[in-house]
Amino acid sequence: MSAGPSSSGFLESSRRGVADADLRRKLENATGRHLEHVAATRAEFPAFDSERDAARRIKEDAIGRLDELLVELKNKLEANGATVFVAADAGEARDYIVNVVKRAGARQVVKGKSMTTEEIELNPALERAGVEVVETDLGEYIVQLRGERPSHIITPAIHLSKEDIGRLFADKLGIPYTAEPETLTDAARKRLREIFLSAGVSVTGVNFAIAETGTLALIENEGNGRLSSTLPDTFIAVMGIEKVIPKLSDLPHFLEILARTGTGQKLTTYVNFISGPRGEHDADGPRAMHVVILDNGRSAMLADPVLREALYCLRCGACLNVCPVYRRIGGHAYNSTYPGPIGSIVSPNLFGSAAAELPFASTLCGACRDICPVRIDIPRILLHLRWREGAAHPAIKWPQAAVKARASVARFARMARFPRTLRLLTRLAALVLRPFARDGYMRRMPGVAGNWTRWGRDFPALRARRKTRSAPQAANHNRDGAAAPAEHS
Amino acid sequence: MSAFHKLIARVRTALERPAESAPPHQAAGGIAPPHAEAARRAELASAFAREFAAVRGEFLGIHAPGEIPAKVVELARSLNALAVAVGAGVTLDFEPIGRALEAARMAVVRADAKKRAVAPPLHERIAQADLGVAEADAAIASTGTLAVVGTPASPASLTLTPPANLIIFHAERLHADLAAAIAALGPEPFVKNRVAMITGPSRTADIEKMIVLGVHGPRRLFAIAAWPG
Repeated sequence: MSAGPSSSGFLESSRRGVADADLRRKLENATGRHLEHVAATRAEFPAFDSERDAARRIKEDAIGRLDELLVELKNKLEANGATVFVAADAGEARDYIVNVVKRAGARQVVKGKSMTTEEIELNPALERAGVEVVETDLGEYIVQLRGERPSHIITPAIHLSKEDIGRLFADKLGIPYTAEPETLTDAARKRLREIFLSAGVSVTGVNFAIAETGTLALIENEGNGRLSSTLPDTFIAVMGIEKVIPKLSDLPHFLEILARTGTGQKLTTYVNFISGPRGEHDADGPRAMHVVILDNGRSAMLADPVLREALYCLRCGACLNVCPVYRRIGGHAYNSTYPGPIGSIVSPNLFGSAAAELPFASTLCGACRDICPVRIDIPRILLHLRWREGAAHPAIKWPQAAVKARASVARFARMARFPRTLRLLTRLAALVLRPFARDGYMRRMPGVAGNWTRWGRDFPALRARRKTRSAPQAANHNRDGAAAPAEHS
Repeated sequence: MSAFHKLIARVRTALERPAESAPPHQAAGGIAPPHAEAARRAELASAFAREFAAVRGEFLGIHAPGEIPAKVVELARSLNALAVAVGAGVTLDFEPIGRALEAARMAVVRADAKKRAVAPPLHERIAQADLGVAEADAAIASTGTLAVVGTPASPASLTLTPPANLIIFHAERLHADLAAAIAALGPEPFVKNRVAMITGPSRTADIEKMIVLGVHGPRRLFAIAAWPG
């Protein structure tokens, strides 16, 4: 009976999220600002929609001949001097990276922001091997100091206020308390720069991998990605198989839309291109470069004709910011590396049954589809996943359930033709259900109605009396003679 | 190797089923207003200046190559710089810049391989400098972007580790947009070197979406356009 959201993790954590008024304020503030920036940058770029279409077409083409492009990418990277490792799952990727770090004799690893390394849970694996891992993206560094996971793809510390961060730095870095973002950032810069200059190995994600030239593109604002691919002697890049694009000339189409949607900038501060280790005479750059190409459930998504579209995702994070569910509950409620609408698609396919309930955590309002830079039809895929999850649990006979539901609606429609009867029945129902209501909502209902609340949905408490907007209406209402059931009791 | 073949086999099998969805798309239309070359370049330069300022870059104007060393000294003085790291130019000769800085009694870290000292390593000395100076291989007007190619004579550190950074570009290498710049650079520098496209000083918005500059890279970014005649 787990076709709907079960009573496990998600419901509990989303309730905590909804109850946290402070969290909602921070989320509304941050996501609201983001959407304003996005609207402004888009408005002044008339080619936005045509660039979106171009980017979408390139992704369709690239994912449609992924086999070919992966072979080309691997050959080109190797020709450039990089070592390529193909990992079928998270465990293989972790083992390989831990081995590279051990062979390099590094005690410390610096990390650029990477969702893929979160996905494979790299940090705990490295720590178990006795290696200190330091996240260098400011937001990631903050959540790492707090021992949390990021709550947003782009803005990992979106759930924290500057005061929260001030207290954290005072506690962990031993600096005097301040809520001044400049001072806090400066403290992190000093600490992290020292580490950058001494760390032997860096690990980052990849935004695009260009098959034609064997080039990885890393997109960022802070410069930690560039430091990661410049200072340490060993550089490890981790990418999902879906990151490959055919040609260098394809990239501008993505760059024109990615920052505009992800952060509301025209272009991020840094777009870093790296194809291989440093040359003989170079003064900086890694001496060894490893590229880990990760499957981890992606080829199974590719095999599903509806799900395949989800592999076009650029991880811009915009669908989180527009999602009415995400904006109420925050990223941690999803209990997954990938929260929000796209996360609700990706997570069940990467992490299996632990995230099976996430496709149900959506109102299907379609705001995510509208903002998506590559026009991924997220609601359609969510419905597909709901159906798939339902089909996997034959305890629920969906077609029969649909027939029943249709019959109930038809009964209601017949009844609705007699408003007085309907009103009377509503009042009766309100009376019966009154013991189940609390704070204006029913979280459990008896009998047939229990089907509604069984999977964690609540229902507004029925009112015995109509809401009275003005006195004359109320008087009128009373003259009808149908006294409120509450008065009868 | 066999893991790779297995992956390719999985991908091939997966692709045997065609994709669904894929709504129809309209073709993208390109815009290329015709202009006289000089007028076009002036227009691009003013667009660059506007966009560069919008990302908090500081544009120091268009100068003839002969005037540039004096401008660099002026900038270094205004920053109270004690040490300046200078790479080799791409279209311009940067040696006069180094000499002018030395004449102004500033320590110059030269990245040029022939004059390189053995210890401490060059990238550490660049990180200690107060200002890094490099020439961009291309600039982009529509976004205020500078594309630098890391080479032995002009390493990536120059535009990354010092707290302030000056990037000089030749006006002939200023392009309308990203696509034009990438096409002009061609694939070679991407394959052989590390390329960075830089749009403004290093920034973060990770604390309450408020912008703070210089989180990892330079806090201040300056640009000068070179234009002979």
